[in-house]
Amino acid sequence: MNNTLTKFNEKDSKTLNTLPVITWRWLKVNELNLKDIKLSDLQDYTKPYINEMDFKDVIVKNMNSKLKPNENIKYFFNKEESYGVSEEFTALVEKHYNSGIYVHAPKNVKLTEPIRIEYNMDNENPMVMDLNLIVAEENSEITLVIDYSTDEKAEAFHNGVTKIYAKDNSVVNVIKIQRMNDKSYHFDSHIAYSGYNAKVNWLQIELGAKNSVTNYVNNLDEENSEANINSIYFADGDRNVDLSYLMNHRGRRSISNIETRGALKDKAKKVFRGTLDFKKGAVSSKGNEEEYAILLDKTVKSDAIPLLLCREDDVQGQHAASAGQIDSNKLFYLMSRGLDEKEAKKLIIEASYAPIIDKIPLEDLRNIISEEIHRRLLNA
Amino acid sequence: MEEKVRKKTYIDDLDRGIYDVKNDFNYSFKADSGLTPEIVMEISKEKNEPQWMTDFRLKSLEIYNNLAAPPWGPDLTDLHMENIVTYVKPNTEMKGKWEDVPEEIKKTFDLLGIPKAERTSLAGVGAQYDSEVVYHSIKEDLVKMGVVYTDMETAIRDYEAIVKEYFMTCVPPSDHKFAALHGAVWSGGSFVYVPEGVQVDIPLQSYFRLNAPGAGQFEHTLIIVEKGAKLHFIEGCSAPKYNVNNLHAGCVELFVKEGARLRYSTIENWSKNMYNLNTKRAIVERDGLIEWVSGSFGSKVSMLYPMSILKGERARAEFTGVTFAGKGQHLDTGCKIVHAAPYTTSNVNSKSISKDGGVALYRGALRVAPNAHHVKATVACESLMLDNISRSDTIPVIDLMNDEVDIGHEAKIGRISDEAIFYLMSRGISEKEAKAMIVRGFVEPIAKELPLEYAVEMNNLIKIELEGAIG
Repeated sequence: MNNTLTKFNEKDSKTLNTLPVITWRWLKVNELNLKDIKLSDLQDYTKPYINEMDFKDVIVKNMNSKLKPNENIKYFFNKEESYGVSEEFTALVEKHYNSGIYVHAPKNVKLTEPIRIEYNMDNENPMVMDLNLIVAEENSEITLVIDYSTDEKAEAFHNGVTKIYAKDNSVVNVIKIQRMNDKSYHFDSHIAYSGYNAKVNWLQIELGAKNSVTNYVNNLDEENSEANINSIYFADGDRNVDLSYLMNHRGRRSISNIETRGALKDKAKKVFRGTLDFKKGAVSSKGNEEEYAILLDKTVKSDAIPLLLCREDDVQGQHAASAGQIDSNKLFYLMSRGLDEKEAKKLIIEASYAPIIDKIPLEDLRNIISEEIHRRLLNA
Repeated sequence: MEEKVRKKTYIDDLDRGIYDVKNDFNYSFKADSGLTPEIVMEISKEKNEPQWMTDFRLKSLEIYNNLAAPPWGPDLTDLHMENIVTYVKPNTEMKGKWEDVPEEIKKTFDLLGIPKAERTSLAGVGAQYDSEVVYHSIKEDLVKMGVVYTDMETAIRDYEAIVKEYFMTCVPPSDHKFAALHGAVWSGGSFVYVPEGVQVDIPLQSYFRLNAPGAGQFEHTLIIVEKGAKLHFIEGCSAPKYNVNNLHAGCVELFVKEGARLRYSTIENWSKNMYNLNTKRAIVERDGLIEWVSGSFGSKVSMLYPMSILKGERARAEFTGVTFAGKGQHLDTGCKIVHAAPYTTSNVNSKSISKDGGVALYRGALRVAPNAHHVKATVACESLMLDNISRSDTIPVIDLMNDEVDIGHEAKIGRISDEAIFYLMSRGISEKEAKAMIVRGFVEPIAKELPLEYAVEMNNLIKIELEGAIG
């Protein structure tokens, strides 16, 4: 056994997604505590996961130790800061990744087709630890779709790290789809740096896993840098969704948006931790954060902690959160048109997801996701 | 890329006027600095307390010694408990008439407007100078209706059964370190009992003032509003500035019974060396209503989160608060609401302003218990930053364990918009006045909830505070 793994297994209870500023302990929302997450061994992932296609001048490679990505991202190096669901999880990936990609988009190259990565975990390959490094040079544009799924039986374990370095005027779109079975664990850490006028857009679709713990950190260090997070979740059964977003505004006129929509059913639990942090110097920055939760059963639990931290006066920060049942007016209207209650509810929930699902650039994935939500709502 | 950075001028804080008047202090009794069982027993003995209270104090002290200070919130390392005199008794006995109060103390309260407030129709006035209540009066007709308004020491003597039943059951000493400290060394404060169905139409008022350097004020306010009764209680606080850090760890316990209404208004203007670690909590029964109106202006560090526990069906809570943090101030304020019964509603409206390096923070919690269906709650927080050396954070938690709820939360942060200033200036108003106007408008929803003299006081405070910032 190696050191990192021993260290990982050391603690019985893992502390994950800790808030940037903590609050009362009796609420038990400062962090997520997960017990008994231990790995007996590290396994390889042997299936191919990059879709074959022509990436033009963009370099897309399986992550391996021979790559020397550091040459391209020196500029960002002294800015490295803590990120991720927790240090022990990210350390494990950095040292012992078994998959992942390295993407390098050269200057002025705009790739219209998305780069598609697919992981399908099963009993032979139950573990994915992917390290993804994405470097977009000046004025380039790329889109990535990463899809995590499992077969029905496997007790899969996914622990990933994705790092994005978006240089001046570049655009990086990353779509993360998680539809693992309800025996599996999903941990995903993300960090992005946006250069001058660069844009990083995240799209997160959370449908599966028993425990899904995700963390997104965006550093808006340069002027006009921008980051957007659009996420949807659907949690039923005993699922546990833990979302953590942090926007660090340092650059002038930097922009951030967080919009999360989701529905909770059965005994599902959700914690939303979204932070807009306006550091000193982030003059004329704008941040917006919205979270809407639809609660479908008595037994659900929904926590929201939308933080606003501010050390600069010339900013506009806003957050809004709302939670409740489906709007009774909408329900009444649809039922007066002949739909029964269940159908009407289904329609309203699907409609709230639609704008975000529509942003997925691959039709087959759009259909898979819509069908999955449809099927699970029907089983209600 | 060079952009013109907006220029700002800073003017020093103004003299706080009457709030900074300090008196020489001579006392009949003063406990040693620091905290030991002996001091606690001494305090209890000095007050001629019944045995159960002495035991309660000692038990609280034990809890205090075993609890750590909270890991979250403002830095409390400068607060050295061993230097804080827990109990200071002014050199005067309780007086029933204002004339009998010693000249010096009287003068201070006169300056603060206490008897003036009484003359202008407040129903009763209690004033606390350091740790003891020095003056207490209540209108006769209220006495006839059975309303009790007195200091806590008298209450223990005359209404022992009631006090024993309620004392620190709402805020148990085990709640947090400073509640335990309060349980051990509490002194003074007000006791109000409003019998069933009695409507007290004019507000009762008490004023706390801390004069001795390095002293602590640990007043206990216990208010019981019986079935269908109604009360408005006003609390004011101030202290002159000394260079030693002072501590205020008071405790307010409010019991709002079935169908009763209680409004609790506070203007806190402690001097800027004060650690204000106050615990306020209300338990509201069926159909009851608690309204908090809270203004935090003074103190060096504040940790103040009035809590409402909505225990009975259809109980309601309203919170309106304004926090103004200036130079050297860290005001961590907010409010906690627990919906523990069906059909309960709550409404939180908080505003904060920070300037000159001050830290204004909203920390909130909204919890809906699993059995509490048909709950409605809204939380709105707005923060205004007047410069970029200050800090303003919003830390709300929304914790839902039931689906039949309707919850809304929103928060905004920013500065005064240029458009608004431009508009007002285009109408012939100077820039300075335009900014002041906008700030006054910003806190207006809170100002109008306050009784007149407090609204005037708040406006004065904002004026004093703003003179330094705008320009």
